[in-house]
Amino acid sequence: MYKLLLSWRYLKTRFIALASIVSVTLGVATLIVVNSVMSGFISEMQDRLHGILSDVEIASPGLGEISWPELHVREIERIVGDDLLAVTYVVRVPALMNFQFRGRQWTQQIMLMGVDEQTFGQVTDFNPYLLNSNKRSAINFQLEEQGYDERIGECGWDYRRKKEENSQRIEELIGSSMNAQPIAKTDAQPLDSQTTGPPQGSVTFAPLPMAAPTHQDTVQSPGQQPTEDTMPMGFSAFDPHADLREHVSPEEMFNPSRDQHTGIVLGIAIASRQFMNPEGEREELFMVRPGDDIQITLPTSGPTPSPITENCTIVDFYSSNMHEYDSTFAFMSLRKLQEIRRMIDPVTGSSTVSSIQVKLKDGADLNAVRDKLIAFFPPHQYPYVIQTWQDTQRPLLSAVNMEVTILNILLFLIIAVAGFGILATFFMIVVEKTKDIGILKALGAPSHGVMSIFLSYGVSLGTVGTGVGIVLGLLFVYFINDIAGAIQWATGREIFDPTIYYFSQIPTVVSPLMVVLVALGAIAIAVLASVLPALRAARLHPVEALRYE
Amino acid sequence: MSEAAQTNLLQPGQSITPTTGSRAPLKVKIPKVLSVSNLHKSYHKGRLHVPVLKGVDVQIHEGEFTAIVGQSGSGKSTLLHLLGTLDAPDKGEIWFQDRRIDNLPARQQEHIRNRKFGMIFQFYHLLPELTTIENVLVPRMVQDNFLSYMRNKKKYLTRAKELLDTVGMAHRLNHRPSELSGGEMQRTAIARALISDPTVLLADEPTGNLDGESGGEVMSTLLNLQRTENLTIVMVTHDNAIAEKADRIIRLVDGKVTKLQS
Repeated sequence: MYKLLLSWRYLKTRFIALASIVSVTLGVATLIVVNSVMSGFISEMQDRLHGILSDVEIASPGLGEISWPELHVREIERIVGDDLLAVTYVVRVPALMNFQFRGRQWTQQIMLMGVDEQTFGQVTDFNPYLLNSNKRSAINFQLEEQGYDERIGECGWDYRRKKEENSQRIEELIGSSMNAQPIAKTDAQPLDSQTTGPPQGSVTFAPLPMAAPTHQDTVQSPGQQPTEDTMPMGFSAFDPHADLREHVSPEEMFNPSRDQHTGIVLGIAIASRQFMNPEGEREELFMVRPGDDIQITLPTSGPTPSPITENCTIVDFYSSNMHEYDSTFAFMSLRKLQEIRRMIDPVTGSSTVSSIQVKLKDGADLNAVRDKLIAFFPPHQYPYVIQTWQDTQRPLLSAVNMEVTILNILLFLIIAVAGFGILATFFMIVVEKTKDIGILKALGAPSHGVMSIFLSYGVSLGTVGTGVGIVLGLLFVYFINDIAGAIQWATGREIFDPTIYYFSQIPTVVSPLMVVLVALGAIAIAVLASVLPALRAARLHPVEALRYE
Repeated sequence: MSEAAQTNLLQPGQSITPTTGSRAPLKVKIPKVLSVSNLHKSYHKGRLHVPVLKGVDVQIHEGEFTAIVGQSGSGKSTLLHLLGTLDAPDKGEIWFQDRRIDNLPARQQEHIRNRKFGMIFQFYHLLPELTTIENVLVPRMVQDNFLSYMRNKKKYLTRAKELLDTVGMAHRLNHRPSELSGGEMQRTAIARALISDPTVLLADEPTGNLDGESGGEVMSTLLNLQRTENLTIVMVTHDNAIAEKADRIIRLVDGKVTKLQS
């Protein structure tokens, strides 16, 4: 009883002791904040890193290929056994993407992935990152009428039809002016569907062939007039395929308002640029949108790769918010890509792939499966790289993990330093209370009773300090994005730039176990720091203590 | 503490019937409460060996007010500490109610200190964080665990108030020691010493730090208690005038009892 009463009274009358545990409070709060942010960072990053990576991958290095993948899968099924959930094939090939924007040709390097519509979504977490809501349930490479994210703006079939309508109108405009004053071959303008501009002069839209124009104020192109002998019969400079039109019906012809090329899904950062507008807000500019056509140039398969170009239509964007992926990857139908790259054996019908990706059941030991596969496909016999998704991202993950470990050690040292502060303060209190200890002993209080006064004093201080620290830390974690925003507002500097980090917001994960461990650790340090003074108090000789003045 | 332990010790007022044997007849009119035989105690200051008590024999009888007087350094305080089991003698024996107490384990000594002895000191030794009434209740808090203290709290409070009333402190129940005068503090200390209904009150210069008037009040309180509560009091003092009020004076000179007065 007296133990509780006295340690309570000591607490109430000695606020300086509370000051000594402010460092415990701060240490605990910092530990919680750092751990929450770090584990949020790690788990978010792992989710995203894992996004298009399968659990285990058997890949041919570089642009190499795996022949007879079906046979491999049969072996994999046998080796992995019950842990196996799904398997898919992927073709990976670097490619060049060419598109037109603002009247110019832009070329960009991408990593083109041929993925299987049915199985890729089962093996990886690809689907949720697609921007079109219709494609999230099942991947396809068809342009959609609707379901696109609003941030992209106008896109889809509507956009494609409107664009086609527009270019039709321009072609007609040009056609009408050409008919009025045919342009010399040397000055022939490329028929660029993107060179939009307001129609010049008032022209009537009449179907081809056009009647002779009556207007004098149309665009005049300089140069010589074409003569009859330079123009072959039936050839028109603005419609080089007029000849073809006669043989092919309009329904069979490629009509951009109705047809699409090979569907391709682009990483959103390939298609867009972020910039700061004068108001200091972040703006996203899309250079191409779903519905636009682009050209992809890629090497063919086989011993003599040669470039091949394929017209593609963007059908969707992929946004994992992981800049490394979003700015690199483009996705296409596996079968289509194999056809383009001539990876299908015309005799056997068997195709080759770049990698076989394996999805395991939750809780399966990835490393064990990987080791089993390596044992079956020994590196000196098979030119395969077999690794888990964590192996793929090991340098990044282990760097972050090491950071967490070091931060934890450093912050725990802060609390340990705080422990020495408590030790010193408690020693002072024990010295100050020497006489009281003598009195208590003279009144028959046992040594362990005296000791427990100071121990419970330490425990309560540690608990209070830790409790306040936990509350502070959790509040900080809860409002961390607001705090970041406030600091940004106050300093005018962006402290969390989403283009540098992988995330648009600071991710946090509060693990209850971590909070409990930090709390226990801090209380243990407070208790340990009070053990020595308490022992000293318990060992005091009553006569000496009473004589103490 | 268990009943068994208590029955080993004699209750206050209980008389001891001496065993009659073939030895020389032992005539005891007043039972002995405390007795000390051939007590030696010395202190070590570095390599220096300072003998304080050099063979002291003292008997304290029940209900008697005994004063131990002597010069500073004569060992009277040391003798009192030894009687109160706060210190252990180098040689010799201390008996309390037919039981040797100087070699008991710490727990039993603590129990005796808490239940059988009340102690008051020259510098009062109240706990500064506690109020008057809480200070009085400390021995009860020490002997009871939390639950039994809470169960008996009412009883203890009544007793504490009664004792504070007896020592004339009823008006200062909720004051801190820093708000009390020396005489008031010493009277509070007396109330604290009596809360456990002890057999013996050990007082170490209770008036040593008080002016004549306060000292007189404290002395009359003690004398009054001796009468009303049938308390055995052992008081250490260097003041012969105060000692005169005692029933018996034991004079210590140079670590030895020189003279017994009745």
